[in-house]
Amino acid sequence: MKSRNKWVMSALIAMLVVVIAGCGSDNNASSGSGGEETVVKFASDATYAPMEYMDKDTIKGFDIDFIDAVMKEAGMKYEVVNTGWDTMLESVKQGTEYQAGLSAVSITDDRKQTYDFSVPYFESTNMIMVKEGSDIKSALDLKDKTVAVQTATTADELMSKIMGVGNTKLKRFDSNAVAMMELDNGGADAVVADIAIVREYIKNNPNMKLVGITDTPNFGSEYYGILYPKGSELKAKLDPAIQKVIENGKYEEIYKKWFGEAPDLTNLKNAQ
Amino acid sequence: MDFNFDIIGGYLPLFLRGTLYTIGFSIASIILGSVFGLGIGFGRMVKSPLWRWPFLAYINFFRGTPLYVQILIVHFGLVPAFYGSTNALISGVVALSLNSAAYTAEIFRAGIQSVDPGQREAALSLGMTGRQSMRFVVLPQAIKRMVPAFGNEFIVLVKDSSLLALVAAPEIMYWGNTMKGQYMRIWEPYLTAAVIYFVLTYSLSKLLSYIERRM
Repeated sequence: MKSRNKWVMSALIAMLVVVIAGCGSDNNASSGSGGEETVVKFASDATYAPMEYMDKDTIKGFDIDFIDAVMKEAGMKYEVVNTGWDTMLESVKQGTEYQAGLSAVSITDDRKQTYDFSVPYFESTNMIMVKEGSDIKSALDLKDKTVAVQTATTADELMSKIMGVGNTKLKRFDSNAVAMMELDNGGADAVVADIAIVREYIKNNPNMKLVGITDTPNFGSEYYGILYPKGSELKAKLDPAIQKVIENGKYEEIYKKWFGEAPDLTNLKNAQ
Repeated sequence: MDFNFDIIGGYLPLFLRGTLYTIGFSIASIILGSVFGLGIGFGRMVKSPLWRWPFLAYINFFRGTPLYVQILIVHFGLVPAFYGSTNALISGVVALSLNSAAYTAEIFRAGIQSVDPGQREAALSLGMTGRQSMRFVVLPQAIKRMVPAFGNEFIVLVKDSSLLALVAAPEIMYWGNTMKGQYMRIWEPYLTAAVIYFVLTYSLSKLLSYIERRM
């Protein structure tokens, strides 16, 4: 009996060693060939229509069309993969599998401590969404109301400052879609999210009688950037291409396609 | 891996508050789930297939669908229908209890059926009624055998309550997600949450093995 156990144990250990060794050599192989190919892989959290979202199994949205124009301008091959937010954050930080993140990421000082950002490519602001007839008129009216946001967005950050991080009336959800369901079911008085998201949702749900409220004094402009690992060489290559796309009218064309109106480029150009 | 302990310090009070919610959700759900599960377990053992069917369907549904989906259905469907609006605390307890009831029902059934039928026959031949034989002979033996499985279910419940972050119930994982959002870092919040869950489940398993030894 004892000797049989020994055999089983050594067989298990041998299997474990093979598996570990296999993983190790796999990694080496892929990082070795990664140096030769020039396909830039972007990670994205495609739950953010109309910026990026999944249409069946293909990723679509403003960001996707925009990066296509930029990468054509730069003459580089690329691929955008829907990885979800957490995977995007960690893998872009490591910079091996994915060299950049593209997901309507707002440029903030806190985030700059861990990542590099491209030049700003999109101006946005947060918007309050309420049901018709609500007495909420500005961000400060939200102080003692129940507010739903998506975790890890600038809306979360802004509302955490206004209401307090530990306030349980500030409800954070995994996605804006769930936050908006919470408003629909009466669990929240308002949703705060990026203006493009709120407008898209109101447009798609005319029966729900929703209103969007902008509040420029409290919700200032913010700018989206492409997310790079610290010290990435990609930034120097893509920044000129981004500026070129914004200058040559291609940006305006994409913007009109997704938002039905021309962008106001003055702030965006100043921010660069 | 650079690990920033300073940002954990700032979130510790919130994590502790979240821990209280996690404990609250787990205790409320194990109690409600067992009461409910006991009824379903007995229903499951009814002789007539016609009466047994709904209980079987309940068990199969809650064991055969992910808790993740159940939480969403309860939060956005069941609770608004009865309560008028969503409420994460109510949906948390309801979803976990309903789910747990399906598993405890099977634990009860297995426990009762594990007692030799001869025990019941012997009790009946002593002149006990069916109910008396269940209460004084079968159940005491069954309960002793149910304890390990029941404790296991409790531990699973503590861990599964982390899914309630999905509907913004302010438990441990919710504050982990919040911390992740503020700093865009994943290791600090997730590892902190892992340590808290481990402390909870490990002390629980110690407590349970103590109870097992005492029985």
